[in-house]
Amino acid sequence: MAILNKKKSKVSDEVPTASMADIAFLLLIFFLVTTTFPKDKGLAVVLPESGEETQVSQKNILHLLIQPNGIVDVKRGENQQVQQLRPQEIEALWRQAVSDNPNLIAAVKTHPDASYRFMVDVLDALHAAKAERISLQLLEEGN
Amino acid sequence: MSITGGGFERKSKASSEVPSSSLADIAFLLLIFFMVTTVFQADRDRPIEWPEAESAQKIDEKQKNIMMVWMERDGSIFINDQQYPMEDVSQVIAPLYAASERALVISIRGDRQVPYRYMDQLQKELVAAGVVRVVFAAQLEQSMQRERR
Repeated sequence: MAILNKKKSKVSDEVPTASMADIAFLLLIFFLVTTTFPKDKGLAVVLPESGEETQVSQKNILHLLIQPNGIVDVKRGENQQVQQLRPQEIEALWRQAVSDNPNLIAAVKTHPDASYRFMVDVLDALHAAKAERISLQLLEEGN
Repeated sequence: MSITGGGFERKSKASSEVPSSSLADIAFLLLIFFMVTTVFQADRDRPIEWPEAESAQKIDEKQKNIMMVWMERDGSIFINDQQYPMEDVSQVIAPLYAASERALVISIRGDRQVPYRYMDQLQKELVAAGVVRVVFAAQLEQSMQRERR
């Protein structure tokens, strides 16, 4: 046994470390390239300049009144008739309404006690329907 | 033949190769040094429940021009890790907005449950500060989720 062990092996008994740096850099560069930092996502709106008020004819306004329970009351211009919809149904409504009247403006009026998320749902639906003229307001008593 | 090379045929004892075994050590040392010293983000995220939107889009603006305004469920406002009362928001933002040459985009990060009255006040403050571009930050909602709801 002792004699057998003494015979020198031709194979090197060291782990080859010369290429370790190459492997490490390869991994490093791979992760550098594949990493993407999460970018902010959201619904962009343009706020009016302060003091800027434009008079819009009532027939060009679609009133969307968001109630505290998330139901949206839809009123068209001077028409006092109220249509109650869920936020998901606004998209189809807007597409229909804007094809009838291209100058339409969406007036989103949210009840002070309504959750922010209902407003985001409605805004989302309007964005999905490619609405560009949106006015965000607080629903006041008597509206 | 023996004269060519000026009799310098004797092998030098010093290795003619550049020692490269410690190259990786040096590189990793630098890497770790920069990892430790890099500061990514000054302000931390506030604990809010994000609203969800299907048509949420990426904000097309440089990261340094995006300013985050956090609103928690009780309507309290945080800007750069600091809480501000509602009335002070326009005074805080107006100089920053002017300094950015009106390129600043305000990312409103509100809790989904916050009553809209606070959101409206915040919007009025932003209008008073002269801000034009605002983004209601939301998480992307998959249409599958929506159908289940």
